Parts: sequence; C-alpha cells; structure tokens
Amino acid sequence: MTDTAQFIDMILFIVLPYVAMATFFLVSIYRYLGRAFTYSSVSSQLLENKQHFWGLVPFHYGILVVLAGHVIAFLFPRELLLFNRVSLRLYILETTALVFGLLALIGLVSLILRRITEPKIRVVTTPMDWVLFVLLFVQVIAGVGIAVFYPWGSSWFAAAMTPYLWSLVKLQPDIQFVSGLSFWVKLHVVNAFVLIGLLPFTRLVHVLVAPNPYLWRRPQVVRWYRKPGGELAESKTGRS
Amino acid sequence: MRRTGWTALPVALLIAGASFAQDPVAYFRQNCVSCHTIGGGRLTGPDLKNVTQRRERAWLVRFITNPKAVINSGDPTALKLKDEARGVVMPIPPGINRELANALLDMIEKESALEESQFKGMTIPTAPFTAQDIERGRALFLGREPLANGGPSCVGCHTTVGLGGLAGGKLGPDLTRVFERLQGRQGLAAWMQAPATPTMRSVFRNQPLQQDEILPLVAYFEDRAKAPAVTPAGPASFNFFLIGLLGSVVVLVLFDIIWKRRLRSVRRRQVMDAAKEVLHGD
Repeated sequence: MTDTAQFIDMILFIVLPYVAMATFFLVSIYRYLGRAFTYSSVSSQLLENKQHFWGLVPFHYGILVVLAGHVIAFLFPRELLLFNRVSLRLYILETTALVFGLLALIGLVSLILRRITEPKIRVVTTPMDWVLFVLLFVQVIAGVGIAVFYPWGSSWFAAAMTPYLWSLVKLQPDIQFVSGLSFWVKLHVVNAFVLIGLLPFTRLVHVLVAPNPYLWRRPQVVRWYRKPGGELAESKTGRS
Repeated sequence: MRRTGWTALPVALLIAGASFAQDPVAYFRQNCVSCHTIGGGRLTGPDLKNVTQRRERAWLVRFITNPKAVINSGDPTALKLKDEARGVVMPIPPGINRELANALLDMIEKESALEESQFKGMTIPTAPFTAQDIERGRALFLGREPLANGGPSCVGCHTTVGLGGLAGGKLGPDLTRVFERLQGRQGLAAWMQAPATPTMRSVFRNQPLQQDEILPLVAYFEDRAKAPAVTPAGPASFNFFLIGLLGSVVVLVLFDIIWKRRLRSVRRRQVMDAAKEVLHGD
C-alpha cells in the first residue's frame, strides 16, 4: 500500500471516527441543554399520512433490527461466531438481516419520494433533511449491497469489524482490520461515522429521546374536526 | 519530499505499531513465513538460507525495504526473482526500515548456520490425504468444528465449489483454486500459518491456526482444486436476494394487517362521512 493510501485510511478510519464521536457527544449535550425543544423528529404525519405509513413503519422496524444486529455483533462477537457454526443458522440469520435491511431501504425510498412529490411536505423540508436523506440512502444501499455481494457479514463483522471498533474504543486504533476491505464496506463504515457526527445537527436527534413505548403502543388517533369547506370548527388532539 | 516525510511518520507510528524495536525472530514469524523458509525450500518466495552469501547486503536491504521500487528500476536480479515467483511482487513488509532489515538479515544469517532452522517450515506429508482428512477440513472450513484458538471459520468470508445451500462468504476470494494459486501443499500451509494479507493477518494474529488444523484444510483445498469447473458465484447471491425480497414483501403485508385500524381508517371515513353529510344534508 502506498503512503498516500495509508494516509487516507488513517484520516478515514482513525481521525474521522474520533472527530465524529466528539462532535456527537458535545453537540448533542449542548443542543439538549440550550435548545431542548428542538429535540424532535419534526413529524409531518399530520400533513400526509398515507404514504407516510409505508415509509415510516418499514424504515423504522428495518433500521432498528439491523442496528440491533450491528450492536450485538459489536458486544458479543464470539457468541455470534458460535451461533453461525451451523450453516442453516447462519443462513437464517443473514436472510433475516437482509429482509429487515430491504425493509429499511423500501421505507427510506418511500419517504424520499414522499418528500419530493408531496408539495406540502416539500415546504417543510430543510436542506439538512436532504443531506440526511442522501447519507441515509448511501448507508442503507451500501448495507444491502454488502449483505448481498459480500456475505456473510454477521461472521466477518464479528471477526474483523468488532476488533477494529474496540481498538478505537480502547484508544489504540488498529486500521489493519479495515484497510484491506472492499470499497463498499469502507464506504459503509465511513458514512456511518459521518452520520454519527452529523446526528446532533439533524432531526435524527429524536433517536436520543425516543419514546420507546411508541414501538408497541396502540395507534394514536389524532382527530381533526374540520368542515370540508375549510372552516375550522374545532381542533382537538386526542391522547392515545 | 516534505509531504512524504510528514505522512510517513504518523503512518509508521500508528500502522506499524509494535514493529519498533521488534524482535526479528517474532517479526519474521509474523510477516515472512507465509512466503519464505530458511532451509525448507521455496514457497511463493525463495528459500532464504544463506541469502546473505548469495547477494550483497546493501542490495538486500534496498530490496527488503521497497521490493517494488527495485523491480521497477529494472534491476536484473529483482526481475529474475519476480519471474521465479510467477509474477508475485513481494509487498513492503509492515513497518520496515533499514535497521529492522539489517536485524532480519543478521537473524537469517544465524539461522542459516544452524543445521535445522526454526523457520524450516512445516513438514507436510507427501502421501495422499484420506477422505477423513478432507472431511475434517470441510468441517473446519464451515465452522462445524470450531478453530481451537478461537479464530473465525473460513466460510464467513470465503467460498469453494460444492458447499451447497447459499454457499460461503464473498468478502475474501473464492478458495476453490487456492491450492494452485499458492503452489501446492507447502505454500498453502505456510500461508495459513502466517497469512500475508492485512485483514487475515490482523484477524489471525492473536488466534493463529494450529498445525493439526492446517493439514486437514490443505487436504480440503487440494480436493476442491480437483473439481472440474468453478461455478460462478452469481446464482447464490441472486437466490439470497430473492429470498430476502420475498421476506420483506411478506413483512410489509404483515405490517398492513397489524395496523389495519391505523389512522387512515378513522380519519378518511370521517372525511368521507362529512362529505356525504355536506352533499346530502344541504
């Protein structure tokens, strides 16, 4: 490997992760202390709720399951490798991961299209939202691409990515684990750190204050008592 | 030059890591034995026994610290070495510098003087492997039998022909023909003892393969190399993708059923009812 390539790898896999994590912690805390009321997903469900369902639900369930998988591989690599000893178990795990990855992709594409095609939604979309959509799209498409073209990630994440990430945590970065990996894997890793670094500047902050019961509570009914003529008779938001 | 200087320093510090003041024996074991023996015959690279008598030390130091540069300079000896290695160019050893190269050459000199060097390489039987050897190699490859030192099994990153199911991983190369690529039993075994690529080296550095695991794996790869033709990796990936797509459609249908009483059914009905009221009521 040339000096230049090594230098770029150092920037991407040592400097960027630390800068991203520092930004994430500092800006998240600063924003929470200074402007706590901006901690919101800035929901647009009220403006359009049909396509919203087909974007929001698959995306969130997809991304949450896939993220949980990454965290499990980070925390329990040895156990995961033992689980994958039986080919059938490996295939079932990988297929499940792909299903949820695809759900996240389908949901995300649906949300992006909704932002583009719905005039009401486009009005409330900020430039940072577009940046976020691009980054999330790159992240999810690279993730699904890796799942399909560079299997079996559940095993090699545990074998190569986990030690790399722990080397960062222990402040003894060892990029040899990642320097030889393919472009798509590197893109996925780098983009993940960019997303973490940008998180406190975007509506993604809602993940830090997520009302977890939303995942299993009954659907919320928001009733608008509006006459079709447009005259507002009474507006009331229910609890539920 | 200045640029190279300020990039090279942190690179050497951070990437080479522990190579400073490194014991040449440990360094050789970790970085050189995948391609070289001392008195055990040629692997991918030449046998290094008495190499300090065959070539000038200055040339050797120059070559070790940057093999590619010496080859590119058109040096006839370097070009001949490249030909003998079937075109494989020796990578720059991680964290190498003139001092370390000299220390390595001193060590090689000492080892060459011994009757049997510790770097003679593994003794690989020449007799044909048995069906049990091959079967055990397959079990190790697939992970059915875990590796004793805790290393990950091959299938996570590699595939070969005849694995069935959704086949093996594709992060690393297809190993069906690896037996030929690494020039037979000796080369393959040496490679597995100290893998030369950055990812493999990192992953297996602290959990190396054991000799009694390497032999069955060599048997398995030798057997795979006899397979008539390499099946393309395409169908397994495509099938996997299709299964995933089908699964996600099923989940989408499930979502629709689970949330069938979602907001839409409440509000839209109200809107429709109100519309009817307006149409018929007025």
